[in-house]
Amino acid sequence: MSKSSRRDVLKIALAGAGAAALPWRAKAAGPTITMLHESSFIKVFDEFFQNTLAPNYEKETGVKVVYEITSVGSLPTRDSTIIETQAGADLTMLGLLYPFLYQDKLLDVTDIGEEIGKKQGGWYDVGKEAGTIDGKWKAIPFSNIGQLMNWRTDWFAEIGVKTFPDTWEDLYEVGKKLKAKDHPFGFELGHGFGDNHGWLYPLLWSYGGHEVEPDGKTVVIDSDETAKAIDFARKFFKDCMLDDVLSWTDVSNNKAWYAEQISCTNNAQSILWLAKRDFPEIAKVTDQAMNPQGPKGRFHLMNSISHGIFNFSPEKQASHDFLRWLMDEKQLGAWYASADSYYQPVLHGYDNAPMWDVEPRNKPFRDAMATAHLPGWPAPPGRQLAESVAKYVVVDMFAKACAGASTKDVIKAADSQLRDIYRAA
Amino acid sequence: MAIRAEEFVGIAPRPRRPFTLGEWVDRGTVFSWLMMAPPILFILAFVGYPFCYGIFLSLENRPVAQPGTFIGLGNFIKEAHDPVFWQVVRNTFVYTGVATLLKMVGGLGLALAMNQDFKFKNIIRALLLLPFIVPTVLSTVAFMWMLDPAFSVINRVLIGFGWPKPGPSWLGSPILAMCSIIAINTWRGLPFYGITLLAGLQTVPVELYEAATIDGASGWQRFRYVTLPILQPIILIVTLFSVIFTFADFQLVYVLTHGGPQNATALFATYAFDIAMGSGQLGLGAAVALAMLPALALLIVAITLYLRKKS
Repeated sequence: MSKSSRRDVLKIALAGAGAAALPWRAKAAGPTITMLHESSFIKVFDEFFQNTLAPNYEKETGVKVVYEITSVGSLPTRDSTIIETQAGADLTMLGLLYPFLYQDKLLDVTDIGEEIGKKQGGWYDVGKEAGTIDGKWKAIPFSNIGQLMNWRTDWFAEIGVKTFPDTWEDLYEVGKKLKAKDHPFGFELGHGFGDNHGWLYPLLWSYGGHEVEPDGKTVVIDSDETAKAIDFARKFFKDCMLDDVLSWTDVSNNKAWYAEQISCTNNAQSILWLAKRDFPEIAKVTDQAMNPQGPKGRFHLMNSISHGIFNFSPEKQASHDFLRWLMDEKQLGAWYASADSYYQPVLHGYDNAPMWDVEPRNKPFRDAMATAHLPGWPAPPGRQLAESVAKYVVVDMFAKACAGASTKDVIKAADSQLRDIYRAA
Repeated sequence: MAIRAEEFVGIAPRPRRPFTLGEWVDRGTVFSWLMMAPPILFILAFVGYPFCYGIFLSLENRPVAQPGTFIGLGNFIKEAHDPVFWQVVRNTFVYTGVATLLKMVGGLGLALAMNQDFKFKNIIRALLLLPFIVPTVLSTVAFMWMLDPAFSVINRVLIGFGWPKPGPSWLGSPILAMCSIIAINTWRGLPFYGITLLAGLQTVPVELYEAATIDGASGWQRFRYVTLPILQPIILIVTLFSVIFTFADFQLVYVLTHGGPQNATALFATYAFDIAMGSGQLGLGAAVALAMLPALALLIVAITLYLRKKS
């Protein structure tokens, strides 16, 4: 290489490095806050925030709100990165048990929680369960994305069933007949994020089984109640379902629904929503119902979404003011309404809101709120529960039994896993 | 030294040229270090630092959003008691071992075939690289549809031949699920082997084959005693890379099965990710990820030593 060309290489490299170091955008005039949200299944929901809520707030206060969308399933990774580096968004959406994992880095928003509760008809009990830690609000619950029963009215009618069965045993009898007619059920037993827990926790609870006592220490999964729930799941799988459910992730039951392969599943409202848009004939024969009850009652999973503010944010106060504004009835009601009732409010003030009349088949989602709980209930939410969920302890306990293992063995395995998780606490 | 120093007193010092930055930079050693500095810094920042931080994390009880406490080998001990961890170890070894073997044999066959003369040779060689070029997530989603009993072309064909409906549950049975991910990984990794070995094949001098033919060697003997020995170092290097990629595979399993059914396809990377991100146990997650290090390190050392001996 000649001398001049060596120098040229260096010059180019230095010029490039210099250009990269230059700030590529000027700082905005007023404060800017960023809210991180997982991409919504309902596109208009995200658009309503970007095109209506954020511009309105900027007009009113001069504060610019950036709505940063992250893909489904990547929120925990994004949040963990923000927390570890203490840089990034100011507010974030939080799902399920994450407010409890991140509690030390979340701003106390008790004033907002109390105020909204008073103004908007009071919180559902599960709202407090999802947002408070030791009586303090660490996140403001926004909604539940409930997981309920989706069923084919035409095929159920073929065997003389007009209303959705009230108990798990009744549902089993129906499923047996429908599978014989080549219309099996499909309930996820694989490693998805939500559709597995969506029916397995309620099933376990409705037979009286629990992972851990409310003291958050005593593992009680090894019980007759758990055994009964597992025995039920095994026969429910064998006589009513497709074998493939063992591998299913969250998209699988939706695909099977639109392929007209299954007659009943447990899913969010998205099945009906998308059917109405893309498969109108299927939508006509799709209905939704609350989960069946077991010997110990009827239960649902709280698939909660809440909003929290990072306490290391340089715009704490601006974020706090924005969250208060956002949760005000005027904004909140309109945001809910933009997605019909896909996001079910956790406040009683919306029990009779017009959003429920848009699609009456969604009303069971409202009625299910009273019996909904976070995964792992009645144990207090926290690290250990999150570990149990991430390791699919309960899901795999059921799945192994459905695949052929004995009830005793699967309970023993789950019990030892849970004891390990809770011992390390 | 002092005695001999007198002898040099009379020598006039050479006039030193003034120091210029330009000339200093132009010195071979300086210039090469300057050129090396960016990649070295890059590797230190994006590989070295995370690696050391990973080791540090694995020795801590470190929940996300909370300060860590040093617990020594506590995480590794907890892992050793976790039956799922051992299942993950078994899965990863089976997955890596079988997939690497298939890729090696298949890739060699592919390279030998591609080394022949035929029509549209260059286009077909380029097309073969497709599975390797297509982003893993995309091709995996395609396989997701192909393995879905409701839509599977494979099952449709099988049913056409009389297989009872709805056909095998490719991802539902633990054994079939493992076979499926191995098959997809092999499909994706084959071109890497094929093309690299093809490059190796083209370096084999024709004279050697001619000499072997004159000596009366059969086709198999030419392959066994000429081709294979020359290709051996390349096969080892490709295997080394392939084992590393396969061992640490994440995307394929994450998209297709997320470790299911019942952890039958969970690998080190997916399990570590679930623990670290799903349950916020950064320390334990790092420990699971690091647990694959000794096996990988041993393999790398063994192959490197072997190559050194050869050369």
